[in-house]
Amino acid sequence: MVFQKIKKTMLVAFATLGFLSPISQAYQDYSIGRIRAISNPYSTSIFIEVAKNTGYVARELIDPPRIMLNLYPAKLSPPFREIIINDEFVKRIRLARDSMNVVKAVVDLKTAEYNFNIFSQPVLSRVVIHISPPKKDIVAQLLTKEENSKDKFTYTELSSSELLPFSNKTIPEKKNGIYRIVIDPGHGGKDPGAIGPSGVKEKDVTLAIARRLAKLLRENLDVQVFLTRDTDKFISLDRRTEIANLLGGDLFVSIHANAAWDSKVKGTETFYNSQYVYGEGAEEVATRENAAFSSEVKVKNIIWDLIQNQYRSESRQLAEIVQNKLVATCSTLNRGVKSARFYVLRGINMPAILVEVGFISNPWEEQKLKTPTFQDKIALGIYKGLASYIKSFNRKVGG
Amino acid sequence: MPSIKRKVLVLIALLVVAFIAGIIFSPFLRETTYQLKNWVGKPSPLPPVSKTVILYFSTPEGELLSPVERKIPVKKEINDEIRMVIGELIKGPKTRSLFPTVPPETKIRAVYTKGDTIYVDFSPSIVKNHPGGTSGELITIYSIVNTLLENFPSYSKVQILVGGETINTLAGHIDIREPFKKNPEMIEQSKTSQ
Repeated sequence: MVFQKIKKTMLVAFATLGFLSPISQAYQDYSIGRIRAISNPYSTSIFIEVAKNTGYVARELIDPPRIMLNLYPAKLSPPFREIIINDEFVKRIRLARDSMNVVKAVVDLKTAEYNFNIFSQPVLSRVVIHISPPKKDIVAQLLTKEENSKDKFTYTELSSSELLPFSNKTIPEKKNGIYRIVIDPGHGGKDPGAIGPSGVKEKDVTLAIARRLAKLLRENLDVQVFLTRDTDKFISLDRRTEIANLLGGDLFVSIHANAAWDSKVKGTETFYNSQYVYGEGAEEVATRENAAFSSEVKVKNIIWDLIQNQYRSESRQLAEIVQNKLVATCSTLNRGVKSARFYVLRGINMPAILVEVGFISNPWEEQKLKTPTFQDKIALGIYKGLASYIKSFNRKVGG
Repeated sequence: MPSIKRKVLVLIALLVVAFIAGIIFSPFLRETTYQLKNWVGKPSPLPPVSKTVILYFSTPEGELLSPVERKIPVKKEINDEIRMVIGELIKGPKTRSLFPTVPPETKIRAVYTKGDTIYVDFSPSIVKNHPGGTSGELITIYSIVNTLLENFPSYSKVQILVGGETINTLAGHIDIREPFKKNPEMIEQSKTSQ
């Protein structure tokens, strides 16, 4: 009887323990810890201590200017917290419990002229908000570019800013028509791009083709050709766009090799950018959070879309010509012309295409792509397309 | 005496049930404390009701998405159901005629919904183990976006996050900083589901 009682007690004890363990797991600590701000003369850094796996989504809001973050999973107790910072950029940061496991943080800014960067440091269990003076406005840059930058950049200036033009000549006065072509060999450096089954790297194939294409264009047409990279080095997508815009190019051709989930997939396709509604998500939040969306921002968005749309039909036309000539020259499978929202093409201020020359994930195409003969053929195909487009365009403008 | 004994027995029985339920459901309990309250109220396990969902996998040409039906257990929380559907998508197709769209090593870090947008936060292996290429990337993005918006029609956009953050691209081509809407053009029309 006594023995049975002990048995029962133990059973109860174990059951209780077993029942409590999931509770302790469920109540895992997602609570927000200390919030610290460091004010420098030219920047402000805010550190929010969070749980290791807490993520965030950030939005910029206007009138008054502020940055909103949704932290998830995160808990806040007490449900409101406010830290006054009052420095060059930031008035204060406010935190509030938004919904189950979501905490909303709002950074109230002193000025609408700022640039911000948010990143999480999971090892240190914190999210960092960095606010600094603004970079030059990209839209203003695009609009003033026409008057200023096209003739401003010389060969020496360009090489000092890591640009490697394929021409040894200095840049002459800009003529009407298409005279400046920017070729963008995809990937490079630490980013190998897609890797074929036998180890051929996309970055090597794209550079080889880009060099051949540049040579063909330079030898046969009255054009200047620039490469966003001429060596095996890493260049960010933003930098590629920036280079093309600073050069004031007339055409942008990004060269890539494709990959698919099935190794049998093969063929050639050419892309142009699909319609991109600038700040789609941000605008929605802004209209919800603000009574009126600032007219200045509205105008910026409209201008941006006009620039994009203006080049969309030209880019599409260019994509079609290049695709047809390329497929005819190399006798590859024609997968057609398509549009998608490409990071590298989004901000390009000129007709721009991205050519996926073949599938490096297909063992047969991989072997072909690494041979100089086939690389020559692809370069020739793209060259024929570009030449045909350039000739008909320049004839039209009488250049 | 017998009534006390019975009470103790009932108590033990209840605790044993709770113990087993706790072990079975502990992985699901981690996400929200919210659900726990429901389970404490009703210690009996959920009835194993299942529902049919549609998953989009890659066609052999790597260009389009083909719908496949699969049964998943019904979840009380929509976030758990979204997680379940994405989990099934990551597992890949069971037939040889279709191809996977997301690296199988990929884990789901978090799922949440806000307004008309579903946020899915993947582990960095979705980038690290991605085969690359514009086609491969488009297939990954739109298999996730189309699958979720097909099965959860009350939402109209999907934001892909990696490691808790919005990132520029999965493999260097397609801009994924902003949410995606459904892309019906990528869905294969001719064949019916299998």
